[in-house]
Amino acid sequence: MATNESPRRNGTSDCSAHGDCEQAQLARAEAGPSSTRRQFLTMSAAVGASLAAGTACNDPAFQAYFQKHYLQLTDADKQRIFERLEQEVEQTKGVRVKISDPRPLRNVQFAYALNLSVCNGNRRCVEACARENNLPDDPQIRYIRVVELDNVTHHLERGNVYYDREKVPEPGKYYLPVQCHQCKNPPCVKACPTKATWKERDGIVVIDYNWCIGCRYCQAACPYHARRFNFAKPNIKPDKINPDQGYLSNRLRPMGVVEKCTFCLHRTRKGRYPACLEACPTGARKFGDLNDPSSEIRKILKEKRVYVLKEELGTEPRFFYFYDD
Amino acid sequence: MALTAPWLCSFLVSCGVDPVDGRPPDADQAPTVSTLTIEPRSQLIPTFPCSQCHSKLTPNSTRRQLTAFHVVRNAELDHGDRSLWCYQCHSIKNIDKLVIANGSLVSFDEANLLCGSCHGDKGRDWRAGLHGSTVGYWRGPKSRKLCTNCHNPHYPWFPTMTPEPPPAPAHGGGETEK
Repeated sequence: MATNESPRRNGTSDCSAHGDCEQAQLARAEAGPSSTRRQFLTMSAAVGASLAAGTACNDPAFQAYFQKHYLQLTDADKQRIFERLEQEVEQTKGVRVKISDPRPLRNVQFAYALNLSVCNGNRRCVEACARENNLPDDPQIRYIRVVELDNVTHHLERGNVYYDREKVPEPGKYYLPVQCHQCKNPPCVKACPTKATWKERDGIVVIDYNWCIGCRYCQAACPYHARRFNFAKPNIKPDKINPDQGYLSNRLRPMGVVEKCTFCLHRTRKGRYPACLEACPTGARKFGDLNDPSSEIRKILKEKRVYVLKEELGTEPRFFYFYDD
Repeated sequence: MALTAPWLCSFLVSCGVDPVDGRPPDADQAPTVSTLTIEPRSQLIPTFPCSQCHSKLTPNSTRRQLTAFHVVRNAELDHGDRSLWCYQCHSIKNIDKLVIANGSLVSFDEANLLCGSCHGDKGRDWRAGLHGSTVGYWRGPKSRKLCTNCHNPHYPWFPTMTPEPPPAPAHGGGETEK
């Protein structure tokens, strides 16, 4: 079993003895509806070989398969898992990466605001996000979609995300970038049958890519089209890999799991601005702490004309749009 | 995962315990104090200081078309409905400085004081961090661009840009969405 595939579980989440490992693997080999005698014998041989080596439970593939949910991991577990994932990237991509797990900051509630009066649709944010978060170009995944809309309209379904122009902004149009809104009341979290996605204390909705089974219910539940699915193995060139990785954010994802914007939590939980904000040449993007009365985000909420997308759904996004005047 | 009892959540938070994972948060990994730096402008102007040429010239306060070094400015100068002229912003007394409406001189690195004397709403937003580009740390050292680092003061509209390429069509192009 390849270590970079989404682990599937069959009830047992731990392995205490080699006998258990053997039984689990045999059970799986026998259970498949399309099992043939050849597959059974191949699997038995593989199990026998790994037992002969006496390392079935220490095998990285086995560990990935039976890894616990993120919220049940101890610091020692995390240490071991991060090392395993780092080694996996080094073996497959030849790149040394550092996986960390910054926890939410004390008394911080993150929020984002975007100035529609100055956004000109140049998509620098989209590309900066892709590089920061190790998004593949083939098949392409992008967290931010910039919707081009006619002035004085707000019909998102008539918007165009595929606009291809010599120069922006096009007269008569305005641009509305959409990414994960980190809802206070996130429908995606409710939809997840395995609790692989949840909301953290600072308001960021995260995904444990090793617990996601790829059912895509969350994707269907999201009213903002913010979640992306890895239909194929993400193909990312080694020279484009960002080595500063967060376990719950931009580490390399396997095939068959859902991912989305995390407000660059590996940056923002260390005090930095998200990558999309720093890439914006127009200064349209603003980010900060809702609990800090002197923050830019609080001033925007206090002084500007602010709205959220699809307010009527009661999702309470932490992503606000505002106008200068 | 979500705890539905708000009192329990607030109780846990007040104990310093994460209501999601039940563990105390790490010590803050982020800086606790914010400091703001304004990106200077004068060192980005290749011909600065202006006095290296203007000290050899006699100032002429008569409004006119420029014919020598600044000839390009004639066509480019489009600010305030073309009503403005050099010495309404540049000081005639000290050409290395800008002059604001009350007559005081400010440096090129404090252009916000000049711009904000007409564009008060934008000046106020810029001071508050709502207008303009700020990079670095949302909490920690941050750096803000000066007005003239994004806007050409002689032609202040934000330039049009070539966008990054559009996204690949969803589902390999099979989607009917525009």
